[in-house]
Amino acid sequence: MSVLSDSLIEDLKKQGVLVTSIEALYNWGRSNSVWPLQFGLACCAIEMIAASMARFDLSRFGSEVFRPSPRQADLMIVSGTVTKKMAPQVVRLFNQMPDPKYVIAMGACAISGGPFKQGYNVLKGVDRFIPVDIYIPGCPPRPEALLHGLMELQKKIRAQKLTGENRAKYFDAAQPGEYPIPSFGEHDLEPSKNAALWSPAQVARKD
Amino acid sequence: METPENILARLQAAFPSAKIELLPNGCPSQPPSLLLDPAFACEIATFLKNDAALRLDHATNVTGVDWPKEGYIEAVYHLFSMEKKHGPLIIRLRTANRDTAVVLPSLTPVWRSADLQEREIFDLFGIKFEGHPDLRRILMWDGFKDHPMRKDYVAPDDFEYEPTAHDDVLERAQQHFSKNA
Amino acid sequence: MNSQPYLSLVVFAVVAAVFPLVPLILARLWFYFFAPLKPGESKNATYECGLVSEGDARIQFKAHYYLYAIVFLIFDVETIFLLPFATAFLNLSVGAVLAMLVFVLLLVEGLVWAWSKGYLEWD
Ligand code: SF4
Repeated sequence: MSVLSDSLIEDLKKQGVLVTSIEALYNWGRSNSVWPLQFGLACCAIEMIAASMARFDLSRFGSEVFRPSPRQADLMIVSGTVTKKMAPQVVRLFNQMPDPKYVIAMGACAISGGPFKQGYNVLKGVDRFIPVDIYIPGCPPRPEALLHGLMELQKKIRAQKLTGENRAKYFDAAQPGEYPIPSFGEHDLEPSKNAALWSPAQVARKD
Repeated sequence: METPENILARLQAAFPSAKIELLPNGCPSQPPSLLLDPAFACEIATFLKNDAALRLDHATNVTGVDWPKEGYIEAVYHLFSMEKKHGPLIIRLRTANRDTAVVLPSLTPVWRSADLQEREIFDLFGIKFEGHPDLRRILMWDGFKDHPMRKDYVAPDDFEYEPTAHDDVLERAQQHFSKNA
Repeated sequence: MNSQPYLSLVVFAVVAAVFPLVPLILARLWFYFFAPLKPGESKNATYECGLVSEGDARIQFKAHYYLYAIVFLIFDVETIFLLPFATAFLNLSVGAVLAMLVFVLLLVEGLVWAWSKGYLEWD
């Protein structure tokens, strides 16, 4: 029996020893220092704040350093209702974060509009404009759920590839570094969604 | 506080040419309200504020009501007196119609607390308050054209994904079904 | 021992140069092999509050503002002195209390001057 797991052998064949070890080191470093951008949009932000305090202690995961500037942040926790008036600002802040960057959509509002889904001024999910890595359902999600989300994100970061076909999008020159910022239209945001990024989920339904 | 009927009688005596009406409220526990003549609204408001027996010095709540069938929009003011500790007196103003003549006099010069609430009505119902010190949209952005709280407002068509739709939302979501499939 | 008195300085200079250069070179190599640069309009923008900056940064300030700031500063400093003065008040000698009163009087004089000149009015 081999000491190496099958997936590692596959990896070594594809990328070589040097890249694989750099990748492991890099992902280990990154996943343990995910610095979130410090901003909150609604009630969910209170739970995010609670998660960063002593009882739930986000700093166990190396994420306690909430950055006040997007230039120093790796993670955007969209915690709360994204109104249409706020959406361009959120997208702009996301654009200003340096790669690699990740997005957690925290709570029903950030995922889909939540309780305000049919409201005239609520964006029906922040994933219509920026790519979301982790969705945390709940209204609001408990701090434990945010910790779980963060751990899932760490798993995702540890699995990302530096080279090859399946490499993370930050290492791919063809992938966009910025996402188009919607502008305020006369009736809605223009465009009302980033069609390249988001398309409605397919729902199987009986007619 | 005096009964609204009493106040009405005093107002009619003080402003003989103004058209003032007493509107009953459907709910028995609620006081009837006074429908004022917009042309005299400012003077009547000042009167209500300064009258020795009333002293209605505080407008707690200003809101709008859209009446599409009747064809007007209403601004409703709830007045209290801090000094005499009584209230509320409810006064209403009506626009002439819902699209061309939506101008009402602003009561912000009389009650400062009406400022932001009148802006909100301007934003969401589209009533233009004449004499308001700073009439801009407050919740929606400046370039926005619609008035979302009007009953005939149609929300933009972003109903592509409605997992648990029903009623009106279902109808609008259904228009997308064939496109999505 | 000290045949090369400047050797430590040279070592110091080399370390000072290498220390910042290594991360910069590493970053360059990283970019070269793995992560392509993706600059963009909002990424390169000067301000990072989420809003687009509007207008010109060179706007006119009222000179009044500086006088205000200075007057504020004086009283800000005064509180720092007044607080220990107040806590130790009963144990101070007469001389110390007089000295403190003179200090406060000087500041009050400044305030009176600014007041009489009309600098406290903001129109
Ligand atoms: S999901 Fe619930 S708790 Fe979170 S922002 Fe929306 S309404 Fe508030």
